Amino acid sequence: MFCYQCEQTTRSENGNGCHEVKGVCGKDETTADLQDLMIYGLQGIAQFAKRMRQAGQPQTKADEFILYGLFTTLTNVNFNANRFVQLIKETAQWRDQLKTQYASINPTDCASLESVSEQAKWQPAANMPGLLAQARLAAINLDVQSLGEDVVGLRAMLLYGIKGAAAYAYHALMLGYRDDAIYAGFEDALDFIASHPSNADDLLTWCLRIGELNYKVMEMLDAANTGKFGAQEISTVNLGTVKGKSILVSGHDMHDLAQLLEQTKDTGINVYTHGEMLPAHAYPKLKAYPHLVGNYGTAWQNQQHEFAQFPGPIVMTSNCLIEPDSAYRHRIFTAGPVGWQGLRHIANGDFSPVIEAAQALPGFTDDTVGQQITIGFGRDTVMSVADKVIDAVKTGAIKHFFLVGGCDGAAPGRNYFTDVAEQAPDNTVVMTLGCGKYRFNTHEFGDIGGIPRLLDMGQCNDAYSAIQVAGALAKAFDCGVNDLPLSLMISWFEQKAVAVLLTLLSLGIRGIRLGPTLPAFLTPALLAKLGEAFDLKATANAAEDIQDAMRAAT
Amino acid sequence: MSEHQIKVTTRDGHELSFGCSDDCDVVSAAEQVEIKLPSLCRDGGCGACVGHCDSGQYVLGQFNNTVLSNEAVAKGEVLLCRTYPKQDLHISAPYDYAHIRFGKQNMRQATIIHLEKIAERTVRLKLQLIEDEAGLAVEFEPGQCMELEIPGTDIRRAYSLANTGNWHGELEFLIRLQPEGKFSDYLNQQAQPGQILNVYGPNGAFGLQADSFSPAIFIAGGTGLAPFLSILRRMAEWGEDRAIHLLFGVNQENELFCTEELEKLQQQLPSLTVTLCVWKPAEAWSNGFRGTPADALQQSLSDKPDGYDLYLCGPPLMISAARQVAISQGIDEQKIYSEKFG
Repeated sequence: MFCYQCEQTTRSENGNGCHEVKGVCGKDETTADLQDLMIYGLQGIAQFAKRMRQAGQPQTKADEFILYGLFTTLTNVNFNANRFVQLIKETAQWRDQLKTQYASINPTDCASLESVSEQAKWQPAANMPGLLAQARLAAINLDVQSLGEDVVGLRAMLLYGIKGAAAYAYHALMLGYRDDAIYAGFEDALDFIASHPSNADDLLTWCLRIGELNYKVMEMLDAANTGKFGAQEISTVNLGTVKGKSILVSGHDMHDLAQLLEQTKDTGINVYTHGEMLPAHAYPKLKAYPHLVGNYGTAWQNQQHEFAQFPGPIVMTSNCLIEPDSAYRHRIFTAGPVGWQGLRHIANGDFSPVIEAAQALPGFTDDTVGQQITIGFGRDTVMSVADKVIDAVKTGAIKHFFLVGGCDGAAPGRNYFTDVAEQAPDNTVVMTLGCGKYRFNTHEFGDIGGIPRLLDMGQCNDAYSAIQVAGALAKAFDCGVNDLPLSLMISWFEQKAVAVLLTLLSLGIRGIRLGPTLPAFLTPALLAKLGEAFDLKATANAAEDIQDAMRAAT
Repeated sequence: MSEHQIKVTTRDGHELSFGCSDDCDVVSAAEQVEIKLPSLCRDGGCGACVGHCDSGQYVLGQFNNTVLSNEAVAKGEVLLCRTYPKQDLHISAPYDYAHIRFGKQNMRQATIIHLEKIAERTVRLKLQLIEDEAGLAVEFEPGQCMELEIPGTDIRRAYSLANTGNWHGELEFLIRLQPEGKFSDYLNQQAQPGQILNVYGPNGAFGLQADSFSPAIFIAGGTGLAPFLSILRRMAEWGEDRAIHLLFGVNQENELFCTEELEKLQQQLPSLTVTLCVWKPAEAWSNGFRGTPADALQQSLSDKPDGYDLYLCGPPLMISAARQVAISQGIDEQKIYSEKFG
């Protein structure tokens, strides 16, 4: 096992990365190795899918399988090794199916197999020891001795960016949104990785291409969310609880939530959001369900404590799952790509087992009064008051914008993001997205001329909204985004954040502060390269960083 | 009276600690702070609370030598319900953190809805939980047990569940009627649908090892079939097929039960094979293996001895015999999981 795809990965003097029998996230060695092997197989599918596309026959279903496969390997998504054994078999089946189709239209090229790599020829072993032996060839750090950590780090950054973008594309797909050009981008990128690239400049170029691809993916997901559920509206969310039977929905998948809301309509069961599902309360067609009664709990890393207290079933719709405690493991359900051995799984959008569980469990016995928070500052909301915002900047009422967004995590250093939000001067606006906001979104920030000082733009994928707002401001002021009074303090935890970071870099955004610690796959040389090209730097001291930002603003 | 610190490390690396005085056993001390360590009889007779003492001195109270041998004691194996600390102890537990329950163990009540004799000296008991503040759900891991108590008495026994966790409050047990057993007498002579029983649990850590990929052999002696039925039913319910060979043994063929359920499970789980074992069958009996499950194990391991996980549940003598066969055939002792039915 070797894994350093998330922020919490083991760091030691002997090298960074989880390489013991279990990663920090809880993923065991067997699962980690099987995930590597499946990624290896997905590269094989991509090679034939790409060739089929070039022959005028795009393979949409195979591309969708690639998205699903990639998503399952994100941090805190699927810990079920048995599931990966099955997925590896399916991976080989897809690849062989495409290979057969390709052979039928291009027998010469396929017969020689000279144009494809070993990923397109590999056959999974019949048993677990065999699969684990094969997985050694698929490890992300396989070539580190010969190629060095910089090249391996760049390969890792590219792969993790692909994984993150795939997760967003999968969410859009669940809402019925797909784009063949985007799928072609995934095929190309995986085909490139399959070629064992070793040129650092090429790899960096591809990382930025994935950033561009992810921008299109986020645009598609934004269209999916707003197209299905309406544009975000300024909304008040109840953090208290309501007497009655209850279901908690966590993760990012709005489609799952929508289905559950529809299926629980008129049952008397109340539905609560958790974590990254909070923005659901801002979408008109979701908040129209009266039994979507509030948001329970905080960020993902607190789930073991908070889920234990929740008196109903819990549905995990995407990443964020951590080892379920015995106090609630019988009433937690996984859905879609999520999995944990021994947990009930909803595979087909039929939430009746969850509803049955909710009816059997006690639910809340009393109302509890909770804080009300305001959300819903997606791009449409902010754009609708663009004139007021621009005027406020012109008059000096708003001196600066801070984008304090991204993932949360357990590391103590994440207080930095709370400190930035709280210490940002009164004449500044804090935009936020992702679950990092749970550290400060219940605090009082006040407003500037009616414009709230804390603007919650939504999930991590709503970085697209932030980019749109920044672009609109730049246009209004006839300047580049880097010339705006805007600072980005991005908290990262997993691979979607890597994809978003690559998007921001691909758009030429400079001066991003990333934290609480830099990715382990970013070697000092890579960091220096990104620092030189994009002024990317680590978060430091909140007060000093704010001062620095405000100095630049004046 | 000294208070000692007990540190327990579970198989998956979690740690928990609590105080325990000289005159208190480790299981009871944990219970006092609302930590329910897996245990069943609490009397040194079943082996469900076995652990390994890595450091510290202790005294072991009386226990049944068939569940903990002298060799095991010499290696530091302990029964936590019989372990009285004399120093701070560090104990390694052979189960995962998920098998420990926290909080006060509440008594629930259930109504008898079905009581049926299914074989010679064996009954099937079905209960329906009465909805209370905990709702109606019954949540447990297949392989776990519940303690049943006759209200107004001190008659309380632990029995493995044969069904799966559910939201309707249904509990199913397969119970062997023991001669002169108090609970058996109650079932045999007084119990009838509509009567109420007190229910505590779930308890126990016996169950399928979720992180193993080896084929498994289940050996059930008599009502030791109950936890395996629970495991197999859940596998069927959740579509979790896995290569499993079940050896179900009884003394005489009129003691066999649940054979129709096993046939149905074989249809749902294509990788499940079942061998019925009868030690002393009638001349004409030809529905399975003639001999004990240990004999059948010997035969099935003779051509392919390694690579199996072995699960044993039933009478202590059957478990000892099967364990000996397995070890002599090269099965790793670490891959043998057992629960003794007294």
